[in-house]
Amino acid sequence: MGAESGAIERVEWNGPIPARRERQLIREAQRGSEQALADLYSAHWRRAHRAAYLIVHDAAAAEDVAQDAFLAAIGALDRFDRRRPFGPWLHRIVANRAIDWARREALRRRVDATEESEARPPEGIGEDLMEALAELPADQRAAVVLRYLLEYSPGEIAEMLELPRGTVNSRLRRALDRLGELLEAER
Amino acid sequence: MNEPKLRELLCEVPVPGAEEAERRGLAVVAAAFAERQAAGIDGAGGRRRAARARTSPRRLALALALAALAAALILSPAGASVRHWVGDVFSENVPKARPGLGRTPGGGRLLVTSAAGPWVVQPDGSRRLLGDYEEATWSPRGLFVAAVSGRTLSAVEPDGTPHWSLTAPGRVSDPRWSPSRFRIAYRAGSQLRVAFADGSSDRAIAAGAAAVAPAWMPLGVAELAYVDRQGRLRIAESETGRGLASAAALPGIDEIEWGGRGEVLLESSPAAVRVRRLQTAKLALEVGVEPGRRLPLPAGAAVRDAALSPDGRTVAVLVSIPLASIAGGPGTRSTVLLFGPDGPSRRLLTVPGNLSELAFSPDGARLLVAWPEADEWLFLPLGRSKGEAVGNVARAFAPGERAAEFPRVEGWCCRAR
Repeated sequence: MGAESGAIERVEWNGPIPARRERQLIREAQRGSEQALADLYSAHWRRAHRAAYLIVHDAAAAEDVAQDAFLAAIGALDRFDRRRPFGPWLHRIVANRAIDWARREALRRRVDATEESEARPPEGIGEDLMEALAELPADQRAAVVLRYLLEYSPGEIAEMLELPRGTVNSRLRRALDRLGELLEAER
Repeated sequence: MNEPKLRELLCEVPVPGAEEAERRGLAVVAAAFAERQAAGIDGAGGRRRAARARTSPRRLALALALAALAAALILSPAGASVRHWVGDVFSENVPKARPGLGRTPGGGRLLVTSAAGPWVVQPDGSRRLLGDYEEATWSPRGLFVAAVSGRTLSAVEPDGTPHWSLTAPGRVSDPRWSPSRFRIAYRAGSQLRVAFADGSSDRAIAAGAAAVAPAWMPLGVAELAYVDRQGRLRIAESETGRGLASAAALPGIDEIEWGGRGEVLLESSPAAVRVRRLQTAKLALEVGVEPGRRLPLPAGAAVRDAALSPDGRTVAVLVSIPLASIAGGPGTRSTVLLFGPDGPSRRLLTVPGNLSELAFSPDGARLLVAWPEADEWLFLPLGRSKGEAVGNVARAFAPGERAAEFPRVEGWCCRAR
C-alpha cells in the first residue's frame, strides 16, 4: 500500500483533469494509493455515469454500467499504459457495456412483448430529448453521447467502438436527422 | 436541432439518483481497490507474499469476504478516512455478529433444515430437531409442521410429536400448507397433489407439474398456483383441479410466491424476477392474469433468491455478480435489492462473496439474509435502523459434529391474524 498520510478527501473537478496530473494519479493508484483512486473517481464518475444513463435510459442499469466500468479499470490497472489518457479508456468500456445492455434489453422486450414497459421518461429538463433518444437504436445513441457529451471526434469514436469511421459518421448523421424530426414533431 | 443545443441538453438532462449513485459507486470501487490490495498485488504488478498466516476455513471465508474492509482498516495508514467511504457498503450495513444463536431479532420462530433434518428455533434461540425429515414447512399459525421423508408426508407438532403420515405415489417434495389451514399441497414425482390437513382425501389435481413449489392463494380461497412442465403458470381450483387461468411462466422459473391479498404473484428464475398482478374475486369463476413487470436487475446479475413481503408490497431480490467478468479478478459481489410497488429499486446491502437466501419476518419489517461464507445470518430492518447478525450458524444445527453444513431457512413464523 502506498505511503499515504493524512485524511483522504474527495476532490471535485469542474473540468477535464490535466494530463500530467492524471498520469501522476494513475501512477500513484498503480502503487496502491487510495487517495489517487478517489481523485480519479471524482474526476471521471459523473461523466461516465451520465453517458451510461443517456445510452441505457435506466438509472439502475446506468449505475451498474458505470460501476462495472470502474471495476474493470481497477482490474486492469496494472496493465494500463500511463502515457494514454484514462478517460477514453473508461468511456470505451462504458459505451460498449451500455450498448450491450441496451441491446439485450431491447431483445428482451421483443421476446416478451406482453410485458409492461418499465421505461419512464424523466420529467422536466430534457424530457423531450430523452424521449427522442429512446427512439434511436442503442449504437446511434452511443455515437451521439460519445460525440456530443464526451466530445470525441468521429475517428476516436470509431476506434472506441471498433467501427469504420464512415460507419460512425453515418450513425451520427442518421441520429441527428432522426432527433431533429422527433423533436420538431413534438413542438 | 443544432449541435450546441444538443450538447447543452445532454449535459443538463437530470440523471435520477445521481448523487446516491456516485456515493455508492465510490464505495464499491474503493472496496474493490482495497480487495485488490489485500489480494497482494503490489504497485509494480507483482504478487507479494500473503501477509497472514493460515486461518481456519470458517474464518477464511469471512476474511475473504471482508478483505476490502480489512485492507482499508488495517493496511492503510489513512484507514480512518477509507473506512468512511468503504463503510457505505460494508460496515454500516453489515452488523457485527453475535457469536451464537440467541434471541431472534424481531421475534417469531424459524423453521430451519440442516443435514440432520428440520429444526424449530424458538424466539429465545432454543431449538429442537423434529426428526429425520428432508424438508418442512409451517402451517399458517405455526401449530404444525408438514415434513417430508422419501414418499412420506407427515404432520408434526413443533415439539416433534408426529400426528399423521401419508404415503404418496412418488417422492414427496415442496409441501405448502394452505392459508385456510385445511389443505396441504405438495409434489409427488411429477404430480401435484392436495390432501386434507388431517391427512385424508389425498388426491392428484394435476399431472406433469414442474419442479417448482406450488403457491396458495393467500386469502384462504382454495386456489393454487403452480407451473407445469410445458413452462406455463397455472392457477387451479384445489378441490377439483379445474383450471382458472394460465399464462406463459418466466423461462427457467424456479420459484413462485402468491402474496398480498391475492393480487400479486412473484415469479423468479436464475435470470429474472417478474411481478404479476392478478384479478381475483371469491365468487369469480376465473382469475385474470396480467402480463406483469420484470424487475430491472444489474447487468450480469444472477438471481439467487427472491421473496415477497407478507403484504405483497415489497419484493426483495438477492443477486450475485461474478467479478471475474467485470474486474478481471476472482470473487463475487452480492446485493439485496428492494422493489416497492412502482418505484425504483433500493439497495439494502452489498457484500463481497455470496449470500444464499432471503426470508421476510412475519411482520415484513425485517429480512433474514443468509451468508454461508461468513457462517452468519443477517437480520436487516427494511428501514434505516441498524441490523443484527448471528454467527456460528452451521454449528448451531450440528451439535457435536466437526463438519457442519450451513442450514436452509424454510420459514419464519407467524404473522398475527
